[in-house]
Amino acid sequence: MEGELTLVARKACFGLPTACPSCLPVYIYLKFVQLPFSLDFNVIHPDSDQIPYVESGTYVAYNNEKGGVIESLKEDGIVDLDSEVCSVPEWISTKAMVSSWLADALMYELWVGSDGSSAHKIYYSDLPWPIGKFLYFKQVRIAKQLLGITKENVDRREEEIYRRATIAYEALSTRLGDQSYFFDRPTSLDAVFLGHALFTLQAFPETSILRGKLLEHSNLVRYADKLKLEFVEGGSSSSTPPLHADPSSSFSRRAGSKPKSKPKREKTEEEKKFKRRAKYFLVTQLVAVLVFMSLLGGSDDAEVELEDDDDLSYE
Amino acid sequence: MDEQGGEITLVARKPCFGLPTACPSCLPVYIYLKFAQYPFTLVFNLIRPDSDQIPYVESGTYVAYNNEKGGVIESLKEDGIVDLDFEVHSIPECVSTKAMVNSWLADALMYELWVASDGSSAHKIYYSDLPWPIGKFLYFKQIRIMKQVLGITKANADRREEEIYKRATIAYGALSTRLGDQSFFVENRPTSLDAVFLGHALLTLQALPETSVLRSKLLEYSNLVRYADKLKMEFVETSSSSPIPTFPAYPSSSFSKPGGASSWSSKPKSKPKREKTEEERKFKRRAKYFLVTQLVAVVVFISLLGGSDEAEIELEDNDDDLNYDL
Repeated sequence: MEGELTLVARKACFGLPTACPSCLPVYIYLKFVQLPFSLDFNVIHPDSDQIPYVESGTYVAYNNEKGGVIESLKEDGIVDLDSEVCSVPEWISTKAMVSSWLADALMYELWVGSDGSSAHKIYYSDLPWPIGKFLYFKQVRIAKQLLGITKENVDRREEEIYRRATIAYEALSTRLGDQSYFFDRPTSLDAVFLGHALFTLQAFPETSILRGKLLEHSNLVRYADKLKLEFVEGGSSSSTPPLHADPSSSFSRRAGSKPKSKPKREKTEEEKKFKRRAKYFLVTQLVAVLVFMSLLGGSDDAEVELEDDDDLSYE
Repeated sequence: MDEQGGEITLVARKPCFGLPTACPSCLPVYIYLKFAQYPFTLVFNLIRPDSDQIPYVESGTYVAYNNEKGGVIESLKEDGIVDLDFEVHSIPECVSTKAMVNSWLADALMYELWVASDGSSAHKIYYSDLPWPIGKFLYFKQIRIMKQVLGITKANADRREEEIYKRATIAYGALSTRLGDQSFFVENRPTSLDAVFLGHALLTLQALPETSVLRSKLLEYSNLVRYADKLKMEFVETSSSSPIPTFPAYPSSSFSKPGGASSWSSKPKSKPKREKTEEERKFKRRAKYFLVTQLVAVVVFISLLGGSDEAEIELEDNDDDLNYDL
């Protein structure tokens, strides 16, 4: 381990050191290892899938590569908490369950099943309103596609997602019993589940179904509370002090000044893109109409509607 | 066995690759019913390859659809018809292993069937009985949906592939360790976990081509392959005498000729016709909508960008007649 590690994550919120479902487990994992690291916030790229990432000198482990930051850190021999359990089938399958069924349920509540206020706070509150709104709707669409939700099956999919989450919580609760960790000592499974649990308990509103389901399992809630006090405590005293969490303090200033200049650039880029797309849009609309007419040239109902446009069908 | 009154009918996608039904969601249900030694009839639905209701189980007025209540197996359990998991459903490991097979391995199989391959397997399973253009159209539509579900975009295709295979490898490793030399994953008797994994393994071994990455990863674990072979002999092949002969789903003869769907050639011919006219009607209806929306879009766009110079230059001559149409 040469040099200090820096974790670049999304900003703090809801009393969590970082209120993003993919950043929080990494933060907790590094805390479990008791490795000193500094926390830095990136507020200008809310939709980047590279965040969170861990930097140390020239080394970088991105979220969207090699199975995520935690897997990269393990593989590259930087921090590995799982060496003893990684061949235990139950550990692997439990982790698979948390990172698929529970992650899906959380994604559903955050983007589809709620009014989006939590998502907005976490991802877009530092961006100008229209851009934030645009990115939010884009993300909602992506989340729906990932979850396989269409207009027709939305109710059935919701039922299925909650059903799986319920089964998963039950299995985890039985597995945990009265232990402090799922497999005797902290592993990446604990980091991933603790991240999920803290986010579900603190970032979702009282009305959240997922939160209600988790609260039914008192040993899981106790587990989350206990580990939070032990490892995450620093960030929970209030919502602003993202940086009490770690020793170095230089980040508090950066987080404030950076976002103001960058979103400007984002905006003009957005505008440029819009202008460019405007042309494409017009051209494709025309082409579409032309192609369609030439294809349906002989069809009766098309002709009735389009008599005066006749010349177009020569194409 | 008679508690439901009347025999159970499993409606699935057609047989192929030497499997009684070659569809990743139908095969586990088939195996599950075989495990339970529950008598059932197998019927094939060839005309709705993209329906997510298939497979379903019927018995009199009772129907359990694939897309409701967590799937057919879960419905059968919940409704007290066939429950193999009664004693094991509270074992956390059983639940989490099933979650792993249903997510990581299911994703990998889906990826190979639709995205990573040339699509010949998928085409055989789903679309070979449809007229060519409709089959092709549905195939491309399905690829798009699969990519969206797997979160694959142009930018991240390589990274996602790496991750999908990595997870599949980890999952096979865990299953292999877990299984050891046992005949079944839990307590030496068949459960829905075995049905789901056996379905996955048989499809991976028999439906995917020799060059498949997933297939070679599975072949590395000899105990998983032995397990699949053994259970296949016991539950999928030998029982071929019991179902009603109208469905020679997998009599040993049809294995030898992989294209052995010959007995189906009479049925599919009539049905796709109906599909086609429906398709045509739909197309006609959509044609009108399409034209209208295109016109509206252009008009709205022009009126919004009325002041913009580039827009006017391009559209001067179309301006008036387009407006009349509204």
